[in-house]
Amino acid sequence: MGNAPVRSDTESTARAPFAPWDRRDIPGSFSVEETARRVGNYKWTEMKLFEALGGWVATVPELDVKMRLGTHCYHHAWHADLWHKRLPELREMKPERLTVPANEAMERFIEAMTEPEAPELTIEKLVGVYRVLIPRFIAAYTYHRNNTSEITDAPTIRSINFILQDEFDDWRDGEMLLQSLITTPEHVRRAAEQQATLEAIMVEAGGITGADSIGTGVTTTTEGGV
Amino acid sequence: MRQFFPVEDLARDERFVQTNMAERMKDGRTAIDVEKTSSAKSRGASKRLTPDRHDASDAARGLMHGIMVGEIQALEGAGRTAHDFATGDGTNDTVPFELKLDMARQAWDEARHVEISAKLSDWMGTELGEFAENTVLFEAACSNDPILRLAGVNRALEGLAIDVFTQMKEFGDIAGDPYLEFCEDWMLADEVTHVKMGSDWLRKVTANDPDRRTKALEFQQVVDKLFSFGGARGESEESSFSLAKRFRELAGFTDDEVDTISQMDHEALEERKEAVRKYRERVGADA
Repeated sequence: MGNAPVRSDTESTARAPFAPWDRRDIPGSFSVEETARRVGNYKWTEMKLFEALGGWVATVPELDVKMRLGTHCYHHAWHADLWHKRLPELREMKPERLTVPANEAMERFIEAMTEPEAPELTIEKLVGVYRVLIPRFIAAYTYHRNNTSEITDAPTIRSINFILQDEFDDWRDGEMLLQSLITTPEHVRRAAEQQATLEAIMVEAGGITGADSIGTGVTTTTEGGV
Repeated sequence: MRQFFPVEDLARDERFVQTNMAERMKDGRTAIDVEKTSSAKSRGASKRLTPDRHDASDAARGLMHGIMVGEIQALEGAGRTAHDFATGDGTNDTVPFELKLDMARQAWDEARHVEISAKLSDWMGTELGEFAENTVLFEAACSNDPILRLAGVNRALEGLAIDVFTQMKEFGDIAGDPYLEFCEDWMLADEVTHVKMGSDWLRKVTANDPDRRTKALEFQQVVDKLFSFGGARGESEESSFSLAKRFRELAGFTDDEVDTISQMDHEALEERKEAVRKYRERVGADA
């Protein structure tokens, strides 16, 4: 402190608040309320997913699948926890109030996805998660990350970036398990039928946060922002 | 998917053979020597798992396989508890959101333990399914009350895992197997966490419900006694492994609770010896 170097009058420390390489900007597509609504939908769906994965562990005979489901169960629980903690920061002091499905079709989707229980239905279980739901998560999170304000909503972006890393890794795991299990025309038929059934319900739902999940559908709520 | 999942429906591939506690106790290979007259190198002199035991290799392989199938059931049990109950304040068959998160975390930990145990079993020359699988651990995870599950699985059975892993870690150390010792040490760290989860949630959820807490602790004692395998755990040389008191303290057990388990282990050993004595007398009388 006492021996600080003497600064010359010409050596200025004044710099622009944003470095030349920092192109982040204020405008974003979502208000605080709309962000909270989406985050509540994310939390509800991540919860349903980790509960389903946990429940299925005991129902699948394939040891490698059993262990992957247990691992991925925690990933989605962690995502749900991140969103649970984000909600009060978005002025929702009762997180459970917004921990809801986007709509009735989304609730129906989860019921249909979690219906298979028998030990010979591992393909159906994995198709629902890794070929329908997780791709929808990746889409909704990517849309949110790319459209929210990079400055005002940085905490959401940070969480989405961590979560997306998990989603991509888990999707890869699930897809590889499916490719190793689908070895006959009958398996192909079963996988395709299950995917078509669930995809139809998901289309009705419009995605994880409803019709506007990736910005292509009808805006359902208070989307606005700057 | 059903809300509750019965133990008889646990999904396994064709290599696994399942059994229950009654069948296991009938197995002559688990019998204890009530006379204690065997030579120093024989199994009867000390049941501790040490490398100089003539059957050390098979005993260690069998124990490791038992650990592996136990981890599979612990994974399944944690997953079911994350699934089976609605989110709420802990009353009326609900569980707090954070308890569900802990169960999901435990599912991941148990999945890693299955991976570790499978690698260790392979390292020790054991085939998957080479030993029978006792499904009693998952049975303790089938209660309709989530707090009973935590008492039975997290406090009683994961507590037992602390004792067994401590034993196996020592075995690895004495046998000069750093691979085994390393793995057991890491699993031991996770188990202490799981037991602490059980202790913390038991106290928190039953803070205003002393009857429920009493029932849960009674259930824990039943499971503890069942899993003492008739005195397989205890301070006596006749017991296969000892109570890891220090780690249990770290996991939230009080001194009184540790003493109770220790006393129960001793009683279980004496009860079993008495049962064997009576059986031999009866067989002798019939002959």
